[in-house]
Amino acid sequence: MSSRTITGAVAALTIALTASSGFAAEKKLTIGVADALTGGGAVYGLPQANAVKMAADEINAAGGIKVGSDNYKIDVIAYDDKANPTEATNAVRKLIDRDGVKYILGFCCSGSTSAVASFIGNEKAVMLVGNAAERSITTKKIPNLVRTRPPADYTGQAAGTFIARKGHKRIAVLGALDVGFYAQYVDAVEREVKKTGGEIIAREVFSLRDRDMTPQLTKIRGLNPDAILVVGYVEPAAFVYRQAVELGMNIPRYGFTSGSEEQFLRVTTSEQMEGVWDLRPTELTLLSATKNGIAYHANYTKKYNASPSPSSPYAYDQLYVLKAAIEAAGTVDDTVVVAKAIRGLPVPPQVVMQYQPVDGKMFDVNGQAYTSNGAFQWQKGKWVFVEDLPSDSKAYSQFLSTLN
Amino acid sequence: MNRSLQSLAWLLVFAALAMLPQVLTVKYYLHLSILALIWVIMAQGQNLIQGYTGYVSIVGAGFMGIGAYSSTLIGMHFQWPIWATMAAAPLVTALFALATGYPSLRVKGHYFAIVTLAFNLIIVIVLVNYKELTNGETGISNIPKPWGGSRDAYFYLVLMLAAAMTALAALIARSRVGEILLAIRQNEDLVGSIGIAAWKYKLFAFVISAMYAGLAGALYAHFQSFINPEIFGVAQSLDAILAVILGGSGTIAGPVIGAFLVVFLPEMLRFADSFRLILYGLILVLATIFMPIGIVGVCKALIGRFSRKEAAS
Repeated sequence: MSSRTITGAVAALTIALTASSGFAAEKKLTIGVADALTGGGAVYGLPQANAVKMAADEINAAGGIKVGSDNYKIDVIAYDDKANPTEATNAVRKLIDRDGVKYILGFCCSGSTSAVASFIGNEKAVMLVGNAAERSITTKKIPNLVRTRPPADYTGQAAGTFIARKGHKRIAVLGALDVGFYAQYVDAVEREVKKTGGEIIAREVFSLRDRDMTPQLTKIRGLNPDAILVVGYVEPAAFVYRQAVELGMNIPRYGFTSGSEEQFLRVTTSEQMEGVWDLRPTELTLLSATKNGIAYHANYTKKYNASPSPSSPYAYDQLYVLKAAIEAAGTVDDTVVVAKAIRGLPVPPQVVMQYQPVDGKMFDVNGQAYTSNGAFQWQKGKWVFVEDLPSDSKAYSQFLSTLN
Repeated sequence: MNRSLQSLAWLLVFAALAMLPQVLTVKYYLHLSILALIWVIMAQGQNLIQGYTGYVSIVGAGFMGIGAYSSTLIGMHFQWPIWATMAAAPLVTALFALATGYPSLRVKGHYFAIVTLAFNLIIVIVLVNYKELTNGETGISNIPKPWGGSRDAYFYLVLMLAAAMTALAALIARSRVGEILLAIRQNEDLVGSIGIAAWKYKLFAFVISAMYAGLAGALYAHFQSFINPEIFGVAQSLDAILAVILGGSGTIAGPVIGAFLVVFLPEMLRFADSFRLILYGLILVLATIFMPIGIVGVCKALIGRFSRKEAAS
């Protein structure tokens, strides 16, 4: 190589280095997702993982996360936890120990989330929980854990008030009542309907893998209830709605499922769903959506060629919360500072769900966020947002603080 | 392989495992190794009833659950130290096994498998529905960990216990009791016809197997710090059966190899994303079809063939 070539190369390198020093350095921030990507919980987990990836793409396209003079582009690693506690622990251990991840998002299902929550307090990591609705996840005051979805009984209380207002006195429940948070939802409903002289006349159970609910429905039909309340995962709930019609049960049907139109229509027809109520957090449906929600729905549908599940924005919002917190904290390395910054955040403008801040902050002292609750009704093939359900996030937050 | 060579091989395996906390820079693998060692205990117990006695029990995970819950609940309600609750767990499990084993072992073959499967289902149903005691499907969190949660220390505890339980299984297998268990597997009617009360030995194997599972459950609970009924379902009982079949049924080394496989294989296949479980299932089906005698059996056959060839030449 001639001396002229070497001199030229050194000069070019010097120019390149000098030029780049004028710009922000671009770095990579790896975010982990642990969620149910297969199995029964995948109806919630897979859309959540997709939502995080979509948020990461959007943030990267907009320049990434700005920390001082650095710009962090987000890289997402998603592992399947099958909604199983052992698998979830393994997945999170892999993310933290092997992949060096400090921020873990997702978490659709309560059992697997509770397993990770039991040790995350000892880790230099921040855990953002999505759809998992079990109340105890945010009663343990874990400083590096927050949850975007409100607990099930917060919604159950509002649902009970709504059902009682409709004048129903004898309500039969059919659901996955061996799952803690569904039972908590029903307990809260019962407390409210009792206030107006109503009662729960049956608590029939189905498991998450059951598909034939006609025995339970036949028994319920014999009790002649005013209304039926269905709580459980989308698929078994869809079978209940379908089979109730097939058995000629012409009574109001209420539910707590958070399934999308597409998910229900895989099992049942629109005619069989007509008139069904879903009493749940004001999650994503186009009629209840804000401008962000409408954009989210359109972008998700375009990217994944499928409609987003109503609960998937809980995970999408997690990443915008994390972005805001990291930028406020001015660090990606100090997870304690970032976790603290999350607790102090107002609701970021990019989020999709309609959060009800407590004392001006998105998360309360327990690390819990609250959305409004809504009554949605199936009308001509769509979930239609009918009205807000009365929800007092501050009062519930104070109640949550009293639990261990 | 003669006895001294075998002992040397076991010592080498133990030494290699003992070095893991120093060698492994990524602690995730240590986490998996601890789970695998817990599964070694579970699989050794399963091997006593399945591999040596010839009775396929599908209640292993249920007994593991009884061990996990009894250790946790005794600690919570009576403030016993962790060591005492861990020691009590296999004894509590043994009581349950005695109660369930007596009626179960009146039937043979597939019927025994179905009865034990039903017991596993019942155990899970009780764990889910007896909420006042077990907290139901929500499970129990923050179960105390010894040594402030040090994974290295816990690894050595589990390693020592896995080694001890493996040695105990070897002792049982080589004793007169072990010979009778093998005889029951070969021809139970013949055992009875020479005046041996086969039911006593079957019950012994079943109860000891449950005690192994109970200990494994207690170790799991205090390692993961969280338990709920889902962890102790039939799928996990099938994993225990698979561990024995894959490694080598009726051998001492087989359950050790099988336990590491059922823990590490699904994790190693994470690269396959949603195809992971399909791939895992496929590997298991192929292994069972083409290696019905397990990895240890295949190795023994290869060594035997090699020795015969050498002797002939």
